[in-house]
Amino acid sequence: MQIKIDGKRVKFEEGETILNVAKRKGINIPTLCYHPDLSPKGKCRLCLVEADGRLVTSCNTPAKEGMDILTRSKRALEARKLNGELLIANGKEENEMEVMKVLKEIGVKGNHFKTPRKVTCSGRLPIEKDDRKCVLCGRCVQVCSEIQGINNIGLMNRGVCAEATTPYNLPMLETPCTFCGQCALVCPTSALRERALSEKLVKAMDEMGNMIGNSKFYVAQTAPSIRVSLGEMFGVPPGTLVKGKMVSALKKMGFDAVFDTDFAADLTIMEEANEFVQRFSSGKNLPLITSCCPAWVVMAEERYPYLLKHISSCKSPQQMFGAVAKTYYAQKIGKPAKDIFLVSVMPCVAKKFEAQRPEMDSSGARDVDMVLTTRELGRLMKQKGIDLAKMEEGEFDRPLGISSGAGAIFGATGGVMEAALRVAYEVITGKRLKKIDLKEVRGFEGIREAEIDIEGTKVKVAVVHTLKNIREIVESGRWKKYHFIEFMACPGGCIGGGGQPRPTTNEIRKKRMDALYRLDYKMKLRISSDNPDIKAIYSEFLGKPLSPKAEKLLHTKYKKRAPKYF
Amino acid sequence: MQVIEKTRWSGLKVALGMPKRKVIERVKSCGLTGRSGSEFPTGLKWESMAKERGKKYLICNADEGEPGTFKDKFILDNNPKILIEGMAIAAYAMGIREAYIYLRGEYSYLKKKLERAIRESGPYIEGAGLEIKVVLGAGSYLCGEESALIESIEGNRPIIRKKPPFPTEYGLYGKPTCVNNVETLSYIPLIILGKWNPNLLLFSLSGDLKNPGVYEIAAGTTLKDVLAYAKPSMEPKAVYFGASGGCLPYKLFRDLPIDAKSVSENGAILGARSLIVVGQKWNAAEISKVLSEFFVHESCGYCTPCREGNFRLLEILNRMCSGKGENDDIAHLEKLAPHIRDTSACALGKVSTAHLLCGLKYFRENFVELAKGKKSIGLKEETEKCR
Repeated sequence: MQIKIDGKRVKFEEGETILNVAKRKGINIPTLCYHPDLSPKGKCRLCLVEADGRLVTSCNTPAKEGMDILTRSKRALEARKLNGELLIANGKEENEMEVMKVLKEIGVKGNHFKTPRKVTCSGRLPIEKDDRKCVLCGRCVQVCSEIQGINNIGLMNRGVCAEATTPYNLPMLETPCTFCGQCALVCPTSALRERALSEKLVKAMDEMGNMIGNSKFYVAQTAPSIRVSLGEMFGVPPGTLVKGKMVSALKKMGFDAVFDTDFAADLTIMEEANEFVQRFSSGKNLPLITSCCPAWVVMAEERYPYLLKHISSCKSPQQMFGAVAKTYYAQKIGKPAKDIFLVSVMPCVAKKFEAQRPEMDSSGARDVDMVLTTRELGRLMKQKGIDLAKMEEGEFDRPLGISSGAGAIFGATGGVMEAALRVAYEVITGKRLKKIDLKEVRGFEGIREAEIDIEGTKVKVAVVHTLKNIREIVESGRWKKYHFIEFMACPGGCIGGGGQPRPTTNEIRKKRMDALYRLDYKMKLRISSDNPDIKAIYSEFLGKPLSPKAEKLLHTKYKKRAPKYF
Repeated sequence: MQVIEKTRWSGLKVALGMPKRKVIERVKSCGLTGRSGSEFPTGLKWESMAKERGKKYLICNADEGEPGTFKDKFILDNNPKILIEGMAIAAYAMGIREAYIYLRGEYSYLKKKLERAIRESGPYIEGAGLEIKVVLGAGSYLCGEESALIESIEGNRPIIRKKPPFPTEYGLYGKPTCVNNVETLSYIPLIILGKWNPNLLLFSLSGDLKNPGVYEIAAGTTLKDVLAYAKPSMEPKAVYFGASGGCLPYKLFRDLPIDAKSVSENGAILGARSLIVVGQKWNAAEISKVLSEFFVHESCGYCTPCREGNFRLLEILNRMCSGKGENDDIAHLEKLAPHIRDTSACALGKVSTAHLLCGLKYFRENFVELAKGKKSIGLKEETEKCR
């Protein structure tokens, strides 16, 4: 079947949209509300093309045999431009955002409609909304229902009063929101965004640096998935490893020590794998469900309190790191816990919520003082005039800086499972693991099941990502048939997290994921228990996994929470 | 009037005695078309519905939201049983067992009456194996559009669905669904009995008239003849076809037959056949402002041109009407109005500027006067006084 685009004959397949055909042929059509992972809705009307003399939205109009399409006719260009003018007439201009790029592309410069429409601005934890910027593209609504299955954002009111908001316009803390942040990730205008803390950090660090006798010691930790995504904000292609550069950039920003959350991931695995072996041999509270993902933990506390006893009592790597840094590391450098200011850089919005949980203070101070998202760190570096791409390669500090490949793959869906099984195998059998790559649990499918043979013992595991798939597994009761389940809220795991650089699409997620697995493959250390820093911390400080000290510092409890609206 | 003929259920009896195919054949051959203004051949819709297997639904669209239209209310109020009989015949012909009447929210006072009529017709419609439920509209103008109406019954936000697939393939709860207007369905019993006169049409007349109301007008009648009965209360200036059909000057339209063809030839849309007669006293720009307010209020907010464009139109019209018009205001109106018509996602957006396009075409001087700073007469306050 054929259509004509700008005079050229092009073949297409049944059901293909005009936009897809054009893209395939390298013809660029500007889009705004369209997102490759979501169903096209044709709301913004910026992708207009002229098809057989009529203006149609190319994103959701299927190509039809014999159609004659003009993507750059005068009429289409003018209509796009006017719609662009109408869109920003309402909002503040932010040059970095996707919306401004698109508008620039279609030639919008200012507009004739001077008054902004709405001037409400509401700050809510840990996601903020600024209605002045919102162009009602509806991506956040779509991602919350189509991808995450939470349905916590919808359009309220109609016409110009329409507003993307929570049910009954309740504050987010009172709704079933899990703070996964996918809404902020797909927002083209940053009307929805993480509660920005970077400015506070800059202020705090500047002030402290100027004081004589400043005793604060600034420590940064970076999550496994940051090293493959941060570069995107500096024009590096997705999936490029920028670990060393990131470390030197953080040092340049003024951090006294930069550590690796991968180390804490290894620590998590030591605890979690031993917890699993204990439960597996006693048969109690199976399946064990991972607890690394804070959005999933919030979801379980809100919706599935009956699952709380199944969730691993291990804190997430971020919180374990905090507890260790403010005790073990504080002792080493001879500073009290309160003098260490720990900033973690996470691909996640929900981590901001996790760090604020009242129970996360077993070290005697807040385990983690501040959480920045990948986006925030990137912006901060730019503000400070640091070009990540041009930095020299640096090294993480010791003694919390060495990590294994198992810690690195934490950032991808299936990674926690694989890392835990590597250690569990050795704990159960007492032998060295030969086949380290557990390809059964890797991949991008929403729900993956596998049966792992550990010396004749069959362990049934499942790896699930996106909250929608988690809902499906839990609400259908299928969760009961496994021994060990990994749940991650965001598509692709942390590499697709809500705090990652925009744009993030499944294609980009896969590139980041491949980079993490490549990193793991190249490493000499691939099993958490081989990590010398891990061995040291157990022999010097914690004793052994699940020891009383480890229980106190590295484990936590969950409680049922009831959102107002359900 | 043919629609207020007392129901004796003879149409249903005759239909039940006929093969289903024959019933559809008769509806098709008599040339009945959708009376909501769409003019889609009813028989064709029924035929494609009859082909579908499994569960399917019939919906009577009684969400009469077009300003100046009240013919459906007239039927519901005066002869609901003829509608119920029509629905029973339709359901029988298409093999449907479940039907809904989607009643406009503002007509809630008719709900009890309608439900009583359904109860009283119980023995007859049960014979056709039909169950009818009355659903109260959700209050939005857009709910009158068939796919938005379906979303509304399902409990969702009334947003139009992308077509195709049409409701006859994928409708209520994903099942084939036939949506027909009240007036359309009410003619069915008469058609089966062979008593229907296709040349008689219901019109809603309102505006500056001494005798406003529902009129049954034979095809080909001119406006002048109709107004001889309706009696204008002042010299007419223009006729508006609801809010969404645009307008025509009285002088031009006076001697033309009132039908879709002659209206559309002059750049307006007849639609659901509501005629709002406007007297000489009024200014077309101010009428456009009031209609624009209506569309800003009723736009669902889905697409940019309708949501933002209508808002900006109103902004300009407000400015003009308050004597603060700017030089390029008319140029902006002329740019925005066709833009909204051409690029909106649904029919509401596409017709939302018809009043302005016609107004600028026929009464441009009114807009120019205001743009130059002539004091407006304050249409809103005036109309408040009239009430």
